[in-house]
Amino acid sequence: MSVRSLIATNLGRLTHWALHDVLHRSGSQLPGRVALGIDPGFLSHVRAKVAHGLVVVCGTNGKTTTTNLVAATLEERGDVVLCNRDGANMAAGVASALLPLRRADWAVLEADELSTIYILPHLRPTYLVLLNLFRDQLDRAGEIDHVQDVIASALEQSPETTLLVCGDDPLSMGVAERARERGTRVLAFGVSEDLGLPTDRVPEARFCQRCGAELDYAYRTYAQLGAFRCPTCGFGRPTLDYAARGVTVDREGVSFALVKKRGRAERRVRADFGGVYMVYNLLAAATVSECAGVDAACLQRALDAYDPHNGRLQTFVVDGREVVLNLAKNPTGLNQNISLLLADTRPKAVCVLINDNYNDGRDVSWLWDVDFERLATDAQVVRVLAGGSRAHDLQVRLKYAGIPARCVEGVADALSSVQDLPAGQPLYMLTNYSALEPARCELEKAGGPHGRT
Amino acid sequence: MGAREVRLRIAHLFPELLNLYGDTGNVLVLRKRLEWRGIACDVREVHVGERPSFSDVDIVFIGGGSDREQRVVCEYLLEERKELVSYVGDGGVLLAVCGGYQLLGHSYLMGDEEVQGLSLVDLYTDRGSPRLIGNVVVQSRISPQPIVGYENHGGRTHLGDGVEPLGSVVHGFGNDGLSGYEGCLYRNVVGTYVHGPLLPKNPGVADWLIARALERRYGDDAVGRLLVPLDDAEELEANRVMRERLT
Repeated sequence: MSVRSLIATNLGRLTHWALHDVLHRSGSQLPGRVALGIDPGFLSHVRAKVAHGLVVVCGTNGKTTTTNLVAATLEERGDVVLCNRDGANMAAGVASALLPLRRADWAVLEADELSTIYILPHLRPTYLVLLNLFRDQLDRAGEIDHVQDVIASALEQSPETTLLVCGDDPLSMGVAERARERGTRVLAFGVSEDLGLPTDRVPEARFCQRCGAELDYAYRTYAQLGAFRCPTCGFGRPTLDYAARGVTVDREGVSFALVKKRGRAERRVRADFGGVYMVYNLLAAATVSECAGVDAACLQRALDAYDPHNGRLQTFVVDGREVVLNLAKNPTGLNQNISLLLADTRPKAVCVLINDNYNDGRDVSWLWDVDFERLATDAQVVRVLAGGSRAHDLQVRLKYAGIPARCVEGVADALSSVQDLPAGQPLYMLTNYSALEPARCELEKAGGPHGRT
Repeated sequence: MGAREVRLRIAHLFPELLNLYGDTGNVLVLRKRLEWRGIACDVREVHVGERPSFSDVDIVFIGGGSDREQRVVCEYLLEERKELVSYVGDGGVLLAVCGGYQLLGHSYLMGDEEVQGLSLVDLYTDRGSPRLIGNVVVQSRISPQPIVGYENHGGRTHLGDGVEPLGSVVHGFGNDGLSGYEGCLYRNVVGTYVHGPLLPKNPGVADWLIARALERRYGDDAVGRLLVPLDDAEELEANRVMRERLT
């Protein structure tokens, strides 16, 4: 390590100490910013202390969960792992996560899609996981084509990185195709059977990005993911290197068997939470585990112990009522959440909180791409509440979906707005990015976390 | 009472390609506001490769897409230009948002390349930096409340002499960030960069479009008879909240 990166490391750590131990503030950004300010090549220098490998996880939905699962799996084996668990996923957040310890076995790092260009060329990770690409935060990220370009360029500047890509996603495969042409090694994971689930509206990628023809699907799993193929140019899902087979998705959670190309069925993976999107997060985590040579039992132990405490599908009990909190920050995320709560056959209330702060994206037009109409036609959805800084936009959207929704000021107001409902009826609370952490804190204070049984 | 059923037809052009900013919301709002008034409504989706006829259509909607998708659409629409010209000349109602708005003009820039537009309205679009992004408020004569929404465009649109803008910018950038104007209003054509989508929080604009379509199909007295007032409490509250926040 050079003198400069040594100084960068120490001043970064000092910043972390000052923030965290003295001021009791989050140290997830500034320490990394300090380190990068002193040593712009900090990421390329610090990677040397990671002995076995570095994994970067990106994709529109599922990054934080997948990153945490991979890190927990490696720790189950006894590895020392550096990880940005709190989801600070720009270059500064990644640098902050790499400050502690003199040496580690693995680094597992979540990266914002557009930040990959600042991270990959320096960090040159062993693996980049690309989970999916959905329309998200158009005012910040721009069009999906641009996001694809950025990731492909980032990979080009990190030739030793193997891309682990969701082969079921035409948009992620668009990146993989380009990367492969430029020499990147690509391994694909996906679901190798029709799940027979009702699929939601496809806002994206109905057409081949190579030639413009409409894509054919043998089946779709959710959104634009599935066994796709262009009838004109042949662009399609590749042979899967890692496939989920025997998939179950129900009220009890999800499970599947991981099957390697030309291999036999491996041990089943099971989680008692999540819908079909969770199959993909788990599949990605299982794929990384395989690549890192971790026994599948470690992944299962990590899953059994998984308790996120980060508001992602976290359950609370407030005044005897189950409150399920989850992140839903784009149309695909909200559609998946709607599927999940409709699978719960109990009568229930739903509260959606939508903010338009900078890190949420200020443009909320995507609310009109969500299939809220499905809530209108389900008799078990007894009440719908709209909150957040764009509560009124949401209320109008719900009105045109046929749902008379009440506006609420926040979590406390939402809780009192369901007090007249029987305590056996759960409240599903779906929030976008900046509304999540405040909601989690309030729910924690109001009631308490609910241990999964 | 006439036994004749009242019905309007909406043509939604290329919904699978031009749907960048929740644009289907505009069509949903038109449809619901017709249905709530007991007016039947057909929505016909026009896909690339089809040869649409606009002779029985009352409202045409064109949304915005990414550059790649917009180019596909434009090449195709140029072949249908004659149909659209006579539709607009006949007083046909047309709403075009974002990329769709740019298509109405003589030309626009895609990267550095000039792409020919439909020349339905005397305007053209070039490019500027930076992109004009943010919430927007526009005062327009076709809406009792100021129009609120969101804009996100690299293009700078310039209106020909005598083309009326949709309105004056109260907050935000508008057509080019300089003129103080947003959108265009030509015969019964509305072009605008305002999405969000446009119509949900601006029910006055939705009803203006519906009124023009009713007049054209059912005569001048149709508006008084058929455009019964709706309870727009939620829509107007959403409009007011954003206006107060921004101005």
